[in-house]
Amino acid sequence: MLEIKNLHATVGGKPILKGLDLKIASGEIHAVMGPNGAGKSTLGNVIAGRDGYEVTAGEVIYQGKNLLELEPEERACEGVFLAFQYPVEIPGVNNTYFLRAALNAQRKYRGQPELDSMQFLKLVREKLEILHISDDLLHRAVNEGFSGGEKKRNEIFQMAVLEPSLAILDETDSGLDIDALRLVAKGVNRLRSADRSMIVVTHYQRLLDYIVPDAVHVLSDGKIVASGDAKLALKLEDEGYSWLEDGGIKAVAG
Amino acid sequence: MTQTASHPLIEQWAKDFRDQPDPSGPDWLQQLRENAVADFVSAGLPGRKTEAWKYTPLRVLEQRAPQAGWLRKAPGAGDCFPEPVIGKEALTVDFLNGQLFGKLPQTAEGLELLSLADGLEAFGQQCQELIPAINTSGTGRMFAALNTAFLQQGLVIRVGRQANAGSLLLRWAFDGEGTSRLGNVRIVILLEEGAQLELIEQFESADDSAGSLNLITQVELAEDSSLTHTRIMSESDEAVILTSTEVQQFAKSTYQYNGFDLGGGLVRHELSSRLAGTGAMAGFDGAFVLDRKRHVDNHISVDHAAPGCSSSQFFRGVLGGRSRGVFNGKALIRPGADESSVRQSNANLLLSGLAEIDTKPELEIYADEVEASHGATVGQLDEEAVFYLRSRGLSDAMARRLLTGAFCHAVTDRLANRGLAAQLSALIDEVMPRSQIGEEPTE
Repeated sequence: MLEIKNLHATVGGKPILKGLDLKIASGEIHAVMGPNGAGKSTLGNVIAGRDGYEVTAGEVIYQGKNLLELEPEERACEGVFLAFQYPVEIPGVNNTYFLRAALNAQRKYRGQPELDSMQFLKLVREKLEILHISDDLLHRAVNEGFSGGEKKRNEIFQMAVLEPSLAILDETDSGLDIDALRLVAKGVNRLRSADRSMIVVTHYQRLLDYIVPDAVHVLSDGKIVASGDAKLALKLEDEGYSWLEDGGIKAVAG
Repeated sequence: MTQTASHPLIEQWAKDFRDQPDPSGPDWLQQLRENAVADFVSAGLPGRKTEAWKYTPLRVLEQRAPQAGWLRKAPGAGDCFPEPVIGKEALTVDFLNGQLFGKLPQTAEGLELLSLADGLEAFGQQCQELIPAINTSGTGRMFAALNTAFLQQGLVIRVGRQANAGSLLLRWAFDGEGTSRLGNVRIVILLEEGAQLELIEQFESADDSAGSLNLITQVELAEDSSLTHTRIMSESDEAVILTSTEVQQFAKSTYQYNGFDLGGGLVRHELSSRLAGTGAMAGFDGAFVLDRKRHVDNHISVDHAAPGCSSSQFFRGVLGGRSRGVFNGKALIRPGADESSVRQSNANLLLSGLAEIDTKPELEIYADEVEASHGATVGQLDEEAVFYLRSRGLSDAMARRLLTGAFCHAVTDRLANRGLAAQLSALIDEVMPRSQIGEEPTE
């Protein structure tokens, strides 16, 4: 599904990713953990194609294609989805209208017929039911005035509607209380499938109690410094990141 | 100062006045016209040194040098009128090249529509008080003086006590004949106690003619009356439209202006309201979408002269190309106008490095317990929002178009007439400067 080789990236001229390697098979969920400043969010933003993140070396191969050559919208149409750490508020743009425009743009790209508003509404109702989200969300402007929890759930809802092949959840747990965290995790688990891979980027192990990953990677100073199964996350929870002497880590997770 | 008076355009208009057919009307009006000619001749054409006009140059008008007199000849075929924006059944009054066109429609009880000449007879007393109330002295008021000097064409709209007159559409159109003329038109709107009216003005010509108009609208709102005044400017890039609307409001009356400047080459609206009775409300909302070299100027002035009144100004502008926008929002809270509320907001999106906006909110408060807020912003599209939309599959152009549209829909969202709001939102999306949001100018 995804293969990242020797990825180097800078932000504002400052090297952040310094030779990152990562390989994810179809249907797998990989957790990427690490201290603040390790480059976790940069990884998600580079994959999604955000401006200001410059790749200086390495490659990202997604379903056999060089992802880095594509515009952000082309990546989305190819099935890449980034759940934002800070979803953007867009006053005046209705959530339903936006999501239908996005889905139809993707369908058009893939040569599928566009959905009319009735078909779209039916699809949306199904997804809301699966995720146990009230349809009040549909009538509001995109993320405007949403609580932290509502914004994150809206990201998962968008993911459910757009049905990506590769989803990157960028600190989807940050700012959530335990109830909101459970709801979001439940939604994500509902979307697990054999042809969908996910990268769960998180600072804390807590989320991984609910979304159990197939693999856990520790990112430190722009590189993967340790990989293992779900148990690695527990070790990090117990010992913090300070044991990663080799990575040159100074910060200790709280 | 004497040099300005010798401007060729002023001389021409003074000559037009002498040459025009004898205008009809009562003696007081004849005298008013004579005085007004003297006013505009001594005032001269507003220029960069005229505070209220310094951002709005009149070069187009100088080059075109249109005649100011009215024509006695029969107007054209009138096939340049667009589809009525609120449907064919709407009660409609048409102006062609600044002259009443066709017969005035039959009206239901409670609503009277009269040509200005007939209105002057039917409502002599009210007109004699109201019409001279327009200030015609000084360079900043030159166009008011010109309008008064040529006062002949126009309309009187009157809604009787407690009557709800529904909607009235005024269509303004120009044909080839209009290019050489500046139409001077006066509209008088009288709403009696408890009366209600929705007035919609549609400025649009079927062919891209270069019409010029100098329109003054005088409104008197008696106690508890309510006027919603929506203006939709869809004229050509050649059109010059200058309007001045003066509203006098008594207790608990409501005036709501909604201006949509989506067309026109040189457009200026002076909008003013005097809140003279307790509890009166005046709202000025507007959206302007500019491209190429178009110019739109909104000058708003609210005078809180009684306690417990509220006013708001809510304008959004999108500017592309080499266009220029001007927003000047003034509110004066006089001594004794306690417990007033004033809100002002003007936000602008500049889509091009060559576009320009001059925005200036002005608040003068001399009363107690006044609730006031104002803000003016100028910015570009939020690139975070653009990326967010693109990351979901929308093209860069679609994302930018959606965001600029949404920026203006904040104005249509406030319209009480929801059907019209939907139409206007669509119209706004249609006229968005496409080249600056990443699309080709033609689809």
